[in-house]
Amino acid sequence: MKQYILGRVIRSVLSVMAVVSIVILMVYLMIPQSKVFKNDSILIKLAGKPDEIAVYKNTKLEDLGYLDFVQQQDLCRLSEDYDRCMEAGSAASQELKAEYEKKGYVFEEFTNGLLYATRSYLPHELVLNFFANFIQIDSPNQVIDDDNPDLERKIYIEKDYNGVPAIQCSGCNYQYLVYFDSSFPFIHQNWITLNFGISYPTYSGLDTWDVISSGQGELDTREVVYETGQTGTTAMNLHACQYKPSATIDHLDQNKFNSNYANCANNYKSPSMINMSYIIGGLGLLLAYLISIPAGIYMARKKDQWPDKLGTVYINFMIAVPSLAFIFFARQIGYALGLPDKFPQYGFTDLRSYVMPVIVLALLSTASLMIWTRRYMVDQSNSDYVKFAKAKGLSQKEIFNRHILRNAIIPIVQGIPSSIILCISGSVITESVFSIPGMGKMLPDAIKANNISMVITLTFIFTALSVFALLIGDLLITKIDPRIKLSSKGGSR
Amino acid sequence: MEEKKKMDPRFQFVTLHQEESEHIAAPQYSYWKSVFRRFFSSKPAILMLIISGLIVVLSILQPMISGYDPLNVPTINDFSTHFLRPSAAHWFGTDNIGRELFDAVWLGTRNSLLISFAAAMITTVLGVIVGAFWGYSRKMDTVMLEVYNIVANIPFVLIVMVLVYVLGSGIPQLIFALSCTSWLGTAYFIRVQVMIIRDREYNLASRCLGTPTSKIILHNVLPYLISVIVTMISRDVPSFISYEVFLSYLGVGVGQTDQTLGKMIQEYSQYMQSAGYLFWIPVAISALISVSLYIVGQTMADASDPKTHMQ
Repeated sequence: MKQYILGRVIRSVLSVMAVVSIVILMVYLMIPQSKVFKNDSILIKLAGKPDEIAVYKNTKLEDLGYLDFVQQQDLCRLSEDYDRCMEAGSAASQELKAEYEKKGYVFEEFTNGLLYATRSYLPHELVLNFFANFIQIDSPNQVIDDDNPDLERKIYIEKDYNGVPAIQCSGCNYQYLVYFDSSFPFIHQNWITLNFGISYPTYSGLDTWDVISSGQGELDTREVVYETGQTGTTAMNLHACQYKPSATIDHLDQNKFNSNYANCANNYKSPSMINMSYIIGGLGLLLAYLISIPAGIYMARKKDQWPDKLGTVYINFMIAVPSLAFIFFARQIGYALGLPDKFPQYGFTDLRSYVMPVIVLALLSTASLMIWTRRYMVDQSNSDYVKFAKAKGLSQKEIFNRHILRNAIIPIVQGIPSSIILCISGSVITESVFSIPGMGKMLPDAIKANNISMVITLTFIFTALSVFALLIGDLLITKIDPRIKLSSKGGSR
Repeated sequence: MEEKKKMDPRFQFVTLHQEESEHIAAPQYSYWKSVFRRFFSSKPAILMLIISGLIVVLSILQPMISGYDPLNVPTINDFSTHFLRPSAAHWFGTDNIGRELFDAVWLGTRNSLLISFAAAMITTVLGVIVGAFWGYSRKMDTVMLEVYNIVANIPFVLIVMVLVYVLGSGIPQLIFALSCTSWLGTAYFIRVQVMIIRDREYNLASRCLGTPTSKIILHNVLPYLISVIVTMISRDVPSFISYEVFLSYLGVGVGQTDQTLGKMIQEYSQYMQSAGYLFWIPVAISALISVSLYIVGQTMADASDPKTHMQ
């Protein structure tokens, strides 16, 4: 069994990597680079300055991972005489140019005669670059700051500003590696972070992971006591402070912090995109199971009678009608009943905002859940043990609840983890129609804005979640039904 | 012996008819006749067939007659033609720049139907062919199962959206994106069915007699799968229409110049409160198409299952 799980985990990781690699290749190679700058307003400001446009574009493309960009000053640092090399058309620069051209760089000239060169990454480099930078482990040697040579390099355990023990670090990117606080899941870490790249052009400059995982809306300010003893109201999350180079530290920072860890993330009032999707998706899922399992059971009990037929009509209706049409229709009914038709109208604090999205999400997934519940119940009710139970003289109700349901629920249980994990992505349409600031809306938005890092990030998250949800589902049924042995199946589902 | 027969007067000889003796004494049975008899015994299905037939014919003929082009807008500056409510002169009214909604709807329907039928056809043909061989060949099974496990784990919406994003928007691209991985699901389904039928005795016998695999698949296995295949088509077409509508609504479906129902719903959703007919008519038509095609398909699937013919 352990061997089987290990095999499955390895296979899952490999399949996630395969999918992400394919998407990386498709996104980088098949989308023209010109599309990247389609909506960039900075380029309009730079119009008429060809040098600055070239630098801006190539720096952006380098940030996005398309190519390697070098300018003459980068080249000349390799040369012995920097100043002479920096002259336009100098012999040293020509030498370096010839050397770099061999490596595949393409040289062009600025209007002042200085050189710059670009080299587009080869397909395998694109994939390798992504995975090479993917997992970032913080260590005390992470910070490179020439202005602060006395920086201690150590990991230690000490009480944080709340008086709770935390693993802290000096010389790492983050001050707090592991810490506790009052927000779910109470223990947090900054030790291992995933690097998905930088979002552009929407949420420009932020890490894509930060965009979807940090809070939204207004800043959440509160009273805090800084390390130096100074008090103040701030939205800073003092646990999420990063190293700030000494050159950029000002006296405001020095008043608040003893060390250079002054670059702190903010707390926000509204939940992050991921949490938003979870709240709505989770509630919708709960409602869906609450409706469809009893309904499916009832349909199976009244097989071929009018409740069954009515249920079948409902299921067929839900399958046939385009989900978009259904959502708009339901939203219109909600609107007539005085519920908001857009989520931001009352915001996330008002319960009324949640009613319609949750109901719509639930109803959308009832049809398939009802079909399967009914199907499994009907299949089970023809088995021998049911006949035996009948022969023993048990009532119809007892047979259904005690005997059939317990067997029929197994395949339904298998699907629960994937539905819970996938409610993060499942609500793409609902979130778009109701303008809910969640993850589901992010993918079409990223595609429309040509935000390639975001597309790759979301692909990774959705794929990883669904692959591992399936694994959890399979493990769950072996817990519920000891007769099921996964390993004997030879790995195929 | 001869003498004995002559002796018994209760028996008499009949003349031997060579031709009649060849006929098997069973009631006449024609598969397709039974399918249609079964299908036309359902009244809702006939009604839905008429509706869907009407929609298909209208969507093919109407754009030919009207010659409607969403980019050709002579009325753009003539404000008296904008936002006209549905009336006898303008059956479905006019939109924000004076285009006839009636013409636009049928062009959109045509494209939506084209996308969903094409995608469903590719999915089915490819899925059935690959699935049939997949179920038969054990070597192919090990490879294809891995591929299927990878693809089936990714949300379908994600695949379609990323593909449309990469390929650019347009009708052929959308058809490709929709059918690119969905055929794997069909193939997997067919594989399971084939594996069930594969090892039945009559197939073993057929193999012993030296029938080639392709012939066993075509003549012994596939006829069993007709009702399954029809069920899948009847599920695929409405779901592809649904996907087209939803992708175009999100703005990642067809391009700016193509007219589809989803595109119209997206374009007109801003007028939902002020000129609701612009939005609700395309929505209603897309719902009508899906429902009618789904019911026709389901009834057809029931009818094409030979087990129901004897009832």
